[in-house]
Amino acid sequence: MKDFLTASLPLKIIALGLAIITWIYVHGEVVR
Amino acid sequence: MNLLSFWSTVKPVFEILILWWIFYRILLFFQGTRAFQVLKGITYLAILFLVAQLLGFHALNWLLKQFFAIFILAMVILFQQELRQGLARLGRGRFFNLFVGESEVIAVIHELSDAVFKLSEKKTGAIIAIEREAKLTTYVESGVQIDAIVNAELIQSVFKHESPIHDGGVVVCGQRFAAAACLFPLTENQNLSKIIGTRHRAALGLTEHTDAVVLLVSEETGEISVACDGKFIPVTGIERLQAILKDLLIIHTKRKK
Repeated sequence: MKDFLTASLPLKIIALGLAIITWIYVHGEVVR
Repeated sequence: MNLLSFWSTVKPVFEILILWWIFYRILLFFQGTRAFQVLKGITYLAILFLVAQLLGFHALNWLLKQFFAIFILAMVILFQQELRQGLARLGRGRFFNLFVGESEVIAVIHELSDAVFKLSEKKTGAIIAIEREAKLTTYVESGVQIDAIVNAELIQSVFKHESPIHDGGVVVCGQRFAAAACLFPLTENQNLSKIIGTRHRAALGLTEHTDAVVLLVSEETGEISVACDGKFIPVTGIERLQAILKDLLIIHTKRKK
């Protein structure tokens, strides 16, 4: 489990950032 | 009612997790290709776009919106080759084929170590890239595609001076000898000694761009080295080489699972 989380960690962090940005952007638009 | 309120609480997390997985697979898919650098650039612009939205910078927001509208079209034109290759790979189902068993990896390690030690005895230069998580398809397609089972004799015959495909590198993907005469990117490390040859520079370059492991035989000295993450690992004997490869390939394969 630990290995699964730490493999390609920078990519996973970038992907999480992009996912959060997309979610905030889309839901922000919907709310507005 | 409780179930509904629970779902409305969990839904955003669930949605972000799906989005995260999609973005992660896209990044992984393009890692090691030309398009990855562009993808990184887009990520920075997306962050800037979000900041501009949050702070209400309308002019910057307008500029970025115009840019994104044109950029999507430009991306399709600029990277039509990568997109075509990517879609073809998805169609072949290789994108999801991440599983290689431990015994198969050990068999490949034995064939490769056998080949490099015999090449080293004859002082025949060789460079062999072993694919890990990042796909080496771009490099495979730059060479002569072979797609055979990894075999020590086959590798030795490829690197013989008489062979028309001895220039360039060999790429090994899983259990397959994917291609020969492949072109690898040269390292941009300015701190390297000027006497380091092109083959060594290519080995470092590839490991800087991707997570591949590169086996190297020096033509001048017959010395064997393993390159990984932009660094050389010294190799003293065949057992040491096999131990290094097992460490880099089997543990890595387990991580992927």
